[in-house]
Amino acid sequence: MNSLDPRVSRLPQVGQEGKIFPKAPLDQFGTYEVFVQSKEGKPFQHEGIVHAPNLELAYVLAKETFTRRFTCVSLYVVDTRDVFVSPLTDGNRNVYDLLDDVNDDEGKNKFEIYHLAKRGKQHMYAGTVVAASVGGALSKAKAQFGKEKIVYNVWAIETSNIRFTQHEERELWLTLPEKKFRDAAEYKGGGKLKNFLESSSKS
Amino acid sequence: MYGGGNTFEGIKTDSITLEDPIKLAEFEARIERGEKIEPTDWMPQLYRKQLIRMIEQHGHSEIIGALPEGTWITRAPGFKRKMALMAKVQDEVGHAQLLYSAAETLGKSREQMIDDLITGKSKYSNIFNYPTFTWADCCFISWLVDAGAIVNQLANAKGSYGPYCRALDRICAEESFHLKYGHHCVIYLASGTKKQRDMFQEALNRWWPPMMHFFGPSDKISTHTEVLMKWKVKMGTNDDMRNQFLDMYVPKIWELGFTIPDPKLKKNIETNLPAGQAGRWEYTEPDWEEFKRVINGDGPCNKERLEVRRVAEERGKWVREALKTPKTKYVMPLA
Repeated sequence: MNSLDPRVSRLPQVGQEGKIFPKAPLDQFGTYEVFVQSKEGKPFQHEGIVHAPNLELAYVLAKETFTRRFTCVSLYVVDTRDVFVSPLTDGNRNVYDLLDDVNDDEGKNKFEIYHLAKRGKQHMYAGTVVAASVGGALSKAKAQFGKEKIVYNVWAIETSNIRFTQHEERELWLTLPEKKFRDAAEYKGGGKLKNFLESSSKS
Repeated sequence: MYGGGNTFEGIKTDSITLEDPIKLAEFEARIERGEKIEPTDWMPQLYRKQLIRMIEQHGHSEIIGALPEGTWITRAPGFKRKMALMAKVQDEVGHAQLLYSAAETLGKSREQMIDDLITGKSKYSNIFNYPTFTWADCCFISWLVDAGAIVNQLANAKGSYGPYCRALDRICAEESFHLKYGHHCVIYLASGTKKQRDMFQEALNRWWPPMMHFFGPSDKISTHTEVLMKWKVKMGTNDDMRNQFLDMYVPKIWELGFTIPDPKLKKNIETNLPAGQAGRWEYTEPDWEEFKRVINGDGPCNKERLEVRRVAEERGKWVREALKTPKTKYVMPLA
């Protein structure tokens, strides 16, 4: 291909120009939800998704997609299919009022609970509960953190399905503050601009 | 960066009459109250279709927009500029990921969007079909094309669709570095040697017409957008966005002593306008025939841009094949 860009000119010819063959069903990566903790002591927050062939690669892609810039101390990913999602309510309707109470005190599974406190915002971590099933987890969540404010949507994720950040991986983000060339505040052209304007008004 | 608040194809509004009037009224009341629409809410077909198009094209513009700047990474003047440009290009590609995810919540798969870009079915911002001959062209994009993109993105971040707004909030926060970096580059050229100044002036002459096209066709010829404005899919008319851009950046370009290649460009302070706006810019009517021609494939770089994307897709195929596993499954994102 003839191009101003030497790298483009060197590209090998593959496939057929302008044509892409239909993808096989498995040639579509799975979907994983990404949760980020921006500072120590702050709750985890849902940030978005990545597509990946497995949980481990989802973790790597999530780090690149969501934590290149602003501060981050921890991140986790989970297969979208492992997130239980309640219906979405509005107005004064608390979503917990729509969910049936399930009593399963015998359970030992841990669940992470996420709340949507305002439409348009991100889902935020509310707390962790122990139960036998998702239903039981939601009943406990309702009793523990569902009474104070209206919750419009609730997610429950079984903790054992999550790929967490290991302690030693926390150093992934240690160099973030050093990357000043990604920081708007590092580009102060004001002095140079002022000198330029002064010298050009004299001449 | 971003390809303007417009979606390049005309829309048909007749499907609205087939919608359930009660649900439609509830939907419109929710938007009227300033509440966001979330993926599981009921929405009119036209709203869904139009948002998919708009967000998808925005995503494609980020991917394709990384190409004219990316070509300058190896030739950027100095280590610092290389580092910054690399970070910027990585950001743009990252923004595409966020936008594709937002479009996916409306029901179109990522792979389908990628395919539609390569086959030419989906459009992207027209401005990236022009070549970057010199470093100054790259600086023009970093500063002014990004500035235009931010005008659009800040407006759209106040729109009605939750996932798109959240993606845009994140994108706008990251873009602040791009804009400062771009301005910094241009100040250095402006205050440099005559050769450097001439180089930027020539870039400005080349890029001004596509920059005026960037915000989409004039309101006089633009297709019917009232219903999209009412649904907060579109947050301002093309001319409003263009005017806002001129208002913010023409003085900054003039301040640096450059000439904008349009003898008719001036601000008319006597125009009657809603409160808060001081005046309207007048300019030579952009060549909309050229805009149409380039959008439809006949620009200087259309073919190369898509071919680069297609080759990347083809060359990555064996990796995707190797990673195939029945354990994962593509599903729609949650929010």
